[in-house]
Amino acid sequence: MAAVEDARKALARPTLAMLPRVSDGLSFLFVDICRVVQTDTGVCAEIETDAGGVHRTPIPTASLACVLLGPGTSITTPALATFMRHGTTVVTSGAGGVLHYGSVPAPGRTTKWLDRQARAYADDERRMEIATRMYEMRFGEEVAEGTSIERLRALEGQRMKGLYRQLATKYRLKPFKRNYDPESWDEQNPVNKALSAGNAALYGVAHSVIAHLGCSPALGFVHSGKQHSFLFDIADLYKARTTVPLAFSLHASSSPEREARFKLRSDLKLYRMIPQMVRDVQILLDPDVDDIEVPSGPSSWRVVDLWDPLAGAVAGGVNYADHLVGEPR
Amino acid sequence: MASVVVIATTAVPDHVRGALSRWMVEPVAGVYVGTMSARVRDELWSVVSDSVGDGAAVSVHPDDNEQGFSMRTAGERRRVVMDFDGLRLIQMSALEESAPNTAPTPEGW
Repeated sequence: MAAVEDARKALARPTLAMLPRVSDGLSFLFVDICRVVQTDTGVCAEIETDAGGVHRTPIPTASLACVLLGPGTSITTPALATFMRHGTTVVTSGAGGVLHYGSVPAPGRTTKWLDRQARAYADDERRMEIATRMYEMRFGEEVAEGTSIERLRALEGQRMKGLYRQLATKYRLKPFKRNYDPESWDEQNPVNKALSAGNAALYGVAHSVIAHLGCSPALGFVHSGKQHSFLFDIADLYKARTTVPLAFSLHASSSPEREARFKLRSDLKLYRMIPQMVRDVQILLDPDVDDIEVPSGPSSWRVVDLWDPLAGAVAGGVNYADHLVGEPR
Repeated sequence: MASVVVIATTAVPDHVRGALSRWMVEPVAGVYVGTMSARVRDELWSVVSDSVGDGAAVSVHPDDNEQGFSMRTAGERRRVVMDFDGLRLIQMSALEESAPNTAPTPEGW
């Protein structure tokens, strides 16, 4: 009987080894207009039919990295607790996964990425390196060794101007000038409005990704000084491919903001870019991300590591009194 | 390239079970496991799905997608495969309400 009891406990409280690694965790599930509940067997999304019956879809919590709860969703506390236990990040978002309202990061999540981010941010040389790589990702080409940040900023400015010019020519518009002054929001041209609305949606998705990885949205590399600096960094990697061309295509639209958001959802399928974003953040913070990481340390699921400047991390939950060397006890 | 295939059947005609047992083993009643090429798999599945009658069958095989496998179903059952942007989950459909079971209100109420 004891074996059965142990097996039941193990299923209810999975050890880290039973859960997918962050780098495997590329499955995002977006649910809306349903009720997420804990049944006696697991977590289900329920939809009530007109006839009063219930359609039930079991959700594979342990293999999901992140659940995006869209409009019209409610979730019960036990269901949320199950997500937390399995290390699934729960994010509340707008329709189609755009606009991030907030997130509940799972406490069991690794701090590996936050740790790398904070170290890189605090070390000017590493910060420069990552900022350079971000510019390279945006350009899609390597930058000469030792190019200064000022030079990169200038190159980036030129490139954006070129893109605006190219798109303005394509749609036969007057030369475009970016303007996101909230004071004169209403008299902006449709392209500016669509671009601002589209970017807001992109920020939401980037925010969800950063929340899922456990990074801080505030510690940016190119941007700095705002609570959302890092997510501006990440969102900027994709603007030239997504929101900018989209905004120009809406130059004649009567409701550019609404259409921009709708198109991001329907045509560009913004949240299918999420796995790519997860990957890009990981590659930026850790260029050797492709190495297979072997889980090390104690497999017990409650233990926290203690930091050691030499050894990196040592096992927590251990009394180190016996480790005093050469001192009388 | 041969790969593993699992076919689970419910209430299918005997000749279908006979056909399946010629290519696969049956470790549990109605569940068939075998290794075969994609072409044989498709042939076999078309035979099964065309002849399930009132029964049902599902076939699962490895595939190059996020989940690592693909599912195909034949016949009507409460479980339906739903596609959530490439993530395929199973929905248990509601039991169809037959007739409303409310008795007519008696006189005087």
